[in-house]
Formats: sequence, structure tokens, C-alpha cells
Amino acid sequence: MEVTRREFTKIGCKVIIGAAAGSAVIESVIIRGTGAENSPADEYDWNEHYWGYIVDTRICIGCGRCANACKRENDVPFDEPVYRTWVERYRTKLDGEVVIDSPNGSIDGFPDDIPPEEVKKAFYVPKICNHCDNPPCVQVCPVGATFETKDGVVLVDYKYCIGCRYCIQGCPYGARYFNTKKGTADKCTWCYHRITKGLLPACVQACPTGARKFGDLNDPDSIVNKILDTERINVLKPDLGTKPKVYYVGLDREVR
Amino acid sequence: MESLIWGYVYPNEVEIQWSILIVLYPYITGLVAGAFIASSLYHVFGKKEVKPVARFALLTALSFLLVATMPLLTHLGHPERGIEIMFTPHVTSAMSGFGYIYSFYLIVVVLEIWLSFREDIVKKAHNSKGWQELMYSALALFSYDISEKALHEDEKLAKKLAIIGIPSAAFLHGYVGFIFGGIKANPWWSTPLMPLIFLMSAIVSGIALLILLYIASMKIRKHAIDHKCLHSLAHYLWVFLIFDVTLEMLEIISMKYESLEEIDIINRLLSDKIATTFYGVQLTMGILIPFMLLLLVGIIKNRETLKMIMISISSVFVLIGVFAMRWNVVIGGQEISKSLSGTLTYVPVFFNQEGVLPAIIILIIPFIILRVVTYILPPWKDMEEEAAR
Amino acid sequence: MQPHLKKAFTLLALAIIAFIFVRSLVVPLSFGQYGWYRGDALGDIRNFPVEYAGSASCGEENCHTNIYSVWINGSHKTVNCETCHGPSGKHVNNIREMPGPVNDSRDYCGICHYKRVARPTTFPQIDPAVHGQDMQCTYCHNPHKPWFV
Repeated sequence: MEVTRREFTKIGCKVIIGAAAGSAVIESVIIRGTGAENSPADEYDWNEHYWGYIVDTRICIGCGRCANACKRENDVPFDEPVYRTWVERYRTKLDGEVVIDSPNGSIDGFPDDIPPEEVKKAFYVPKICNHCDNPPCVQVCPVGATFETKDGVVLVDYKYCIGCRYCIQGCPYGARYFNTKKGTADKCTWCYHRITKGLLPACVQACPTGARKFGDLNDPDSIVNKILDTERINVLKPDLGTKPKVYYVGLDREVR
Repeated sequence: MESLIWGYVYPNEVEIQWSILIVLYPYITGLVAGAFIASSLYHVFGKKEVKPVARFALLTALSFLLVATMPLLTHLGHPERGIEIMFTPHVTSAMSGFGYIYSFYLIVVVLEIWLSFREDIVKKAHNSKGWQELMYSALALFSYDISEKALHEDEKLAKKLAIIGIPSAAFLHGYVGFIFGGIKANPWWSTPLMPLIFLMSAIVSGIALLILLYIASMKIRKHAIDHKCLHSLAHYLWVFLIFDVTLEMLEIISMKYESLEEIDIINRLLSDKIATTFYGVQLTMGILIPFMLLLLVGIIKNRETLKMIMISISSVFVLIGVFAMRWNVVIGGQEISKSLSGTLTYVPVFFNQEGVLPAIIILIIPFIILRVVTYILPPWKDMEEEAAR
Repeated sequence: MQPHLKKAFTLLALAIIAFIFVRSLVVPLSFGQYGWYRGDALGDIRNFPVEYAGSASCGEENCHTNIYSVWINGSHKTVNCETCHGPSGKHVNNIREMPGPVNDSRDYCGICHYKRVARPTTFPQIDPAVHGQDMQCTYCHNPHKPWFV
């Protein structure tokens, strides 16, 4: 039997692949220990923390890297119109009309679709779950599938949620969505799997200008408390009594 | 998809979460509560003129009650977890009341039916053979005591149950109103009037359904219609229509008068998104026309056929109007963005888990159940005896 | 009480007892451990994989120390490595898993640096129509340490 050049390369490839598979043993040496991922790090004590979030709308550049990173970090369906965080753009035209948009939740940034000379005022506003201290979504959940943790994070139990979507109706900020893959409600977790390991939420880490900041409200020296102590801050829809823990610097009256 | 959206809606709002099935759910529970309250007009308040439909009303309530869970379960992302609402009900949630209020009410209705039909069941058990005998004996729980004393005691208990039944029927539907009325995030829903509005429209729709079913049953059975009973029902329908329209207008007027932050988007909702279904179907067709027709029924003397036609038309219009009211609340509330600066449009799909087809199927099932139940437990017996006499 | 009523209420009581029994079997043990929710859900959520390992993990030990030291002293130090290079969590755990290629197009740099009316004016922005013709940004600018090569 004659072996053609093509078949020869094929066989060669198979040998290489086989060798690679055989080296799985060696691989296990290379792979770093991921103990923290298999069992929750026990050194984390949720009684010691109470998380808070700052958004400085004055320095947001609308690049949308936060929203993009969030989708990848949290396995949010990438091509569906569902977002755990997004950036809004507010533009006041010369005639006073306010145009608000968030194309594709800003995961691809913002194109300029209105000539700049027609705009007199414009800014970006990042949005995210407010992890309210008095969360209406937790209040309305009929089965106890969403809850606020002791460290102040509102989470969804994906194995217990019945998918009635009442919480989505109850959230005044549009921060919740229905995950068709899981068949449950879904929302921002402030990257609970990261913050309990000492990392920052993916959106905060991805922000190139520091418009998003995350920290411990229990720690008087945390970045969040420093800003809260010095800047004039506001929250979204304060009249609803939800007591958000996402604080905004430089919030405009148009923002709801 | 873009053209369906006006202004700015939050990115997550693009998809409407509660579809036509959730419109159907308060509609069906409303029919249940209304039919039950109509039957208690006789059982509790002793209104003799509605006696011919009293037992039939109970069976109607049961038939619709049995399907009330179906639109909800079909809609859930995880229907198999639905029972958690019974196992771990979260007390601060209006929706968590569903499991227990529903079960309690189901028990009340079943007991009430059992007590008012027990004499017939026992007689049937004695007079039938084979599997029928077994079925009726089982329904009688193998106790065949239908002495005067036993029946009298049944009646006393039935009355007590009916008295419990009224508040629980009101509660069953009031809490459905609160599911919407308690949502502060949605300005179109958030009003303390919502439970009352739901309750009144429930009673209205229940009576209208009962009228239609009564006329239809009599026509099918080629039996004379008891016009006194019909007019009495029409009278109650008219009275409850007044309560209903008062509350509905009160909500809109106070919303417009107070003109809070959300008024612009509410005005847009009313003048653009749901203008036809609200002003046209819900108010004009569902309330104004039936109100005028029923008023005429009260004025006109004799001419029973004409009056019957007018009552029937009113009832059909009321049923459509109440459905439109549920639609305007459930869908209308989701067609405005919680950003208060945009609207979106719900486009019903036909073949889908949450489409129009399952909605139609779910709406047909109670009539099939009713046919089966009235076959097993004919509610017209006493009337026939009277006719035979 | 009449015997038929006794039977009816016994049936009802049996149903309720059966319900309570089934409930005690089905409700997860950790439910109510910390509040009205399943306590084990916390562990589930904390065990999600970390996709973005963070820039610090790139410069660790014997990995990308050179480029890291260049980057950390430049004005792009606020831009996480993974913002351009993609999530590195898998790569950090297993160096055989390579992140995807870098998007080095003008438009990708433009996501931050094209002139946009809503951006703070102090932020460096260029008009793509007149700046640098159609050349790749990296032709003149070092993405790891911008201003000049």
C-alpha cells in the first residue's frame, strides 16, 4: 500500500495528538491548584463585609468594556438582549430633546449617530443591579429563590427559582432578566464568586477610567467610603425606598 | 423589533415577560370568584330568585377553578418546581399566597358542592349499577344517611361554608389584584385600588358568564328560561357594573389629576398603546353599552325575548370588556418602560408555549369539565321536579 | 357529627398530613439556614469559575514579567490586560489554553479613543477621519505604553 503525502501528514497529526493526550499526566503538574473553586474559601467571613459600589458618571467614556467583560465572566447569553450591566448615553439636542440610548447594552461601545454639532450636552451613565438594602425583587419572590446575603449582595438561587418572572416585574431598575438557558430569573451578583475570593467584580476590573469602584462599606478606609465621605452622591429612584447600594457621583436629573 | 420600541427602554425590557397566559390567569380566577359569589346570593343571602342557578354556579366555579393553575404552570420557566410555592411560600410575596388561598378555596368549593349534591349522589348510588354505582358510592363516601335531620345539618354546614367562601373568594381575587397593585416599580400597576378593581370586575364577569351559561344550557336542554332568575342576575350585573366603573375611573382620574412623574408615559400608554382596548373595549363595550342595555331591561315591561337578547348581548360584552381590562393591566403595564421614557409593543405569537393557541385551549377546557361535571351531577334536578308538578 | 361528615373531614386531615409529610421530605435541608432561602445556594454561586483572572496574574513569577513591567509604568496601566487580550482565567489555570488573538484594529482602539460627544473632554480622543490616515494605531503607538513607541 502506498502512503501518499496527504495521508502521511494525517497520520503524523494523529501521532502528535495522541502524544498530547498522553501528556495529560504532565499537564496535571502544570495546572495550578484550583482548590478555591471547588470549595468556597472558608477564610471568607460574610459577617465582616458589607459591599458597596460607586459609579462616577463624570469620567465614564462609554467604551462598554464593563458590559462586555460581564457577559463573558458570567456566561450571560452573548447574543441575546439580556444584560447584568450596561451603559446608557444621554444626549440633549439643541432643541432640548433628550435622546437616551444603549445600543446592544453598550457591549460594542457607542457609535455617534447624531452629528456632534446638534448636541449641547451629553454624558454616559453605567447601570447595574443596585443590590438594594430593601430589595423589591426579594420581597416579591414567591418561593425564596432570591435573597440578600449578609454581606449585602442580592443573589438568585438557580436551582430553586421557578421562573415566574415576578422579580423582573418588581425591579424598578430593569436590572433583572430571564435566562432562557437556565429557565430562571438572572441578575448581577456583583461577581460573588470573585469578591469572596478577594477579586474585584469583572466590570470594575475592566473599567479603564475608574468610573466604577467597588469596596467594603464596613471598612472606613475603603475606596467606596472615601468617595461617599467627600463627594455629593445620589442613588437611582430614591423615592421608591429601595435603598440602593450603588451610589452615583454626578447624576443628572434626566437619569432614571 | 426596533420599530416596536419608542423612546428608551432598559435593555432588559425588550422582551415582554408576562404574556397572554398571565392575562388569562386573573380572567379565569375572576370568573371563579364571580360565579361563586353569584351562588352565595342564594346560599347566604337567601335570594330565592337565583335558586335555579345556585348549584350550577358552584359547578361553574369548580370547572374554572380546576384550570386556574394551568396558565401559570405553562408560563413558568420550571413548572416542575411550581410546588415550591406550597412548600416554602415566601410570606412577603403576594404571589406566594396563591398556593394556600387556592387550595383552601378549592376545599371550600368542593365541600360546598358535595353538601348541596349529597342527596342526589346517595339517590344515584342506590338507583344505579356497575361502575356508576361504585362511583356514586365513593362520592357519597359510602355513607347513605339522607334523613331529614342529616340533610338539615348539611344545609347548616353548607351555609357556614358559603359564608367562609365569600371572603375567601374575595381574597382569592383581591390578592391577584395585589400582585399587580403592590408593584411599586410599575406606575400603571401600583395603586391600592387594584385589588378592589379586580374584585369588582371579577364579580361582573362571573355573573355575565353565569347568565350566558344558564341561557345556553336551557336552550340546549330545550327548557323554559326562568325569566325572574335571569332578570335578577341582570340586576346584580348592573349594580356591580356601577361599582366597577366607579373604581376604574377613580384610578384614572386620580392618576391624571395628581400628574406625578410618570404622567407623560401613562398618557402615552392611554392615548397610543392601549387606546382602543381601554377606551373602546374596556370602557365603552365592556361597561357603557351593557350598562345602558341593562338599564333598558329594567325599564321595558314584558317582551321577554327582547330582554333576554339584550341581557345576552350585555353579558357577552361584559366578558369581552373584562378580558380587555385584564389585558390592559397585564400587557399595558409591561408596554411602558420603567425608565418612564419609552414604550414597547407586545406581539402575541400563535404557536408557542406562551402563545395564543395554549391560551385558547386553556379557555376551552373548563367548558369541557363543566359538561362532564354536569353530566355526573345534574344541577337542574329541583327545577325539573317543579316543572313536573 | 354525622358519619359522612366525619369521613369527609378525616379525608381532609389525611390529605393535610400527607402534604406535611411530603413537604418535610422534599424541602432542601439547607433551606432556612440563613434566611428564607436555600443556604447551599451560596456555595453554588461562589463556585462559579473565574474567567477574568486579572492583570496581576499575568505578571506573576516567570510569566509575562517583561511586558508587565512596561505596561505597569505606562498610562495604559488602568486598562486590564484582558480588556484587549481576552479573559485569561483558563490560561492561568492551564497554560495550554491560549486566549484568543488580540483585536488590533483601529475601531477597537476607537471604542475608547474615537472622538465622541458624550466623552469627558479631558480624555484623549482622536478624529479617525483626519488622524493617522488609515494606518493601524499600533504602527505609531505602543499599546502597552502609549504615547510613543
